[in-house]
Order: sequence, then structure tokens, then C-alpha cells
Amino acid sequence: MAQHTSEHSHGAGDGGHHETPSTSRYLIVFVLLLIFTVLTYVTAKMDLGRANLIIALAIATTKATLVVLFFMHLVDHGTACRLVFGVSTLFLVVLILGVLADVKTRFPAALPHGETVRPEHMMRPHHSEAPVKRPAFRVVSVEPTR
Amino acid sequence: MSSVAHAKTPSTDPAVRFRVHHFDSAVKQQNAARLGMWLFLGTEVLLFAGLFCAYVIYRSIFPQEWKAASHHLNTQLGIVNTVVLITSSLTMAMAIHYAHSNRRIASVLATLITIGGGAAFLVIHGFEYYHEYTVGALPGGFYNYPALPYTGARMFYTLYFLMTGLHSAHVFIGMAILAVLAVRTYVGHFNHAYYTPLELGGMYWHLVDLIWIFLFPLLYLV
Repeated sequence: MAQHTSEHSHGAGDGGHHETPSTSRYLIVFVLLLIFTVLTYVTAKMDLGRANLIIALAIATTKATLVVLFFMHLVDHGTACRLVFGVSTLFLVVLILGVLADVKTRFPAALPHGETVRPEHMMRPHHSEAPVKRPAFRVVSVEPTR
Repeated sequence: MSSVAHAKTPSTDPAVRFRVHHFDSAVKQQNAARLGMWLFLGTEVLLFAGLFCAYVIYRSIFPQEWKAASHHLNTQLGIVNTVVLITSSLTMAMAIHYAHSNRRIASVLATLITIGGGAAFLVIHGFEYYHEYTVGALPGGFYNYPALPYTGARMFYTLYFLMTGLHSAHVFIGMAILAVLAVRTYVGHFNHAYYTPLELGGMYWHLVDLIWIFLFPLLYLV
């Protein structure tokens, strides 16, 4: 187990009785997080096709890494903690990639899709001649778009 | 009598009072607490993983409707919420720093500001939810939004409400935890040598921020 605690000084203390990590690293991370937030908003406004999603996820992952390492002090905590968090993240990725691989490679008719409106020529005339009641919102025949 | 003298001694110094002796040292006690908390946070990540998984499935089936529905969300309020949570994460880290530096009142104030950030987040979400209620963009079977009469949009709003709802529940729970910790800080349960509960509560709050960091681009910036 890692023996070091956060009582090791990582920089100048701020006048407390004991050595503590300096607060400057929190402020730096905070400013970086704000910069990345602006960056993700700006890149989302641009139309880059498929790259939009990848860039957004990359920026989000970077921000998450900063929060986990410095705000949550994973850099200071032991190897076991890093292992726990790393494995959780790994299984999250495995779950999502596995499901994505399934959905993306399905035969289109095997995908769940919206309600369909039967084409007019297939509708039998209503025996009472009263107009068919329309649903509350218009349903659209949808072939799942790829 | 010696029993009376012993009863008085450990009551005030947190490092002594909260020391449990099945750990060899205080450092090992702190490391064990941190490991336990990381394990719990791992389970929280996997809890949200289920919803992210559903998001992935439905977004890949309904990409056009997803984009259209996302444009109907209020991105400005989403940005404000993001900044609010990131700032509250900063004040939480500062609160732990102050407790570790024996600055009790500063720590209490920083924790209270963090709780205020959480409250602001929930209030802004409340405005968003109210707007969606008025236009009929509700989850699941209650969906009746004339501007987006598509099943894909319904699935988007269902996932939006479920994911932000579960996240907001975590924000609320985090606020309750931090309130208890603020009271404990005020009465002097923490000092430079022992501040573990505050640290763990801070980790929970940072996880809440972490989840929002992913929710925001996935829901608001499609």
C-alpha cells in the first residue's frame, strides 16, 4: 500500500500549521476545466460531421481525467484506488462498445423503430364511414436511419 | 479514579477520537477509507453506465431525431449548470484543503458555497423541466410534443429525463451529505490530521460533477 499521505508538501504551504499541497493546482485545474467547457461548446457549434461526437467525448474525457486526478486526488491515493477506478472505467467502455457493436451490425428490421402508419392502399374502408380517429401526435413511418 | 481520567482524554482530538484500532496506523485507516470510497464510486459509475448504454443504443437508431430534439434543449442553461458544478467542485476541494490546514470556518464556508452551487443547479434544472412540461416534452408515455412528433424524439426526452433526473437525485443526496459534513466541521470533528469524512464526501461531489461533464455534451451538444 502506498505510504504517502497528503501531508507531504507538493509546493509552498499557505501558512497553515502543517505542510499541505498548495492551492494553486486547484485553481489551475479549475481554469483548464472552464477553458475546455468553452472549447466543447465552440466545437459543437461547428459542423464537423462524425468528428463532432469524437471531439466532444475527447474533451469530456480530458475534463473528467483532470477532475479525477486532481480534485479527487487520485494522484495522491494508492495504486489500489487507481486500479479500482481504472477497471470500472474499462468495464464501462467494454459494456458500451459491446452494445454498440451489436446495434450497429443488426439487420435493419431487427431494430426497434417507431410506430408505422400503414400505407393508404392497405387500409380497408371503415365500415361505419366515420373518419378514423387520429392519434394525439402524428406518427411517421420510419425505416431506422443508419 | 483512573477510569474518569481515561474518559476525558480522547474526546476532543479528532485524530484520536476517530481512530479505530483494527488498523495498524492512522495512515492505513485513511487509505482503507479512500479505497472503500473509490469502490463505491466505481459502482456509481456502473449505475450510470446502464443509462449511457441505453443512450448509445437509441442514438444510433435515431440519429436525426436525436439531433433535432437536442436543439430544443436550452444549451445556455446547460452551460450555466456546467460552470456552476465545476465551480462547486473547486470550492469543495478548497473546503477539504482548509480543513486539512486547520482553518475550520473557511472550510465550513467553502462547504456551504458548494451546497449553494448544488441548489442553484437544481433550481436551473427545475426551470428547464417546467418549460418541457409546458410544451409536452415529457418522458415515455406522457410525451406529447407537437414540434417533434417522432418516436426518436420521445426516446431522447425519456433518456434526458431519466439521466438528468438520476443525476439530480445524486446532487440532492450530495447536498445532504455535505450539509452533515459542514455541521461536523463546524463542531470540530476534523483537523489537519483527520478529515477523512470530508474528503470522502468531497469525492462523492466530484463524482456528481464528473457525471455531468459527460451528460452535458451528450444531451445538449448533439
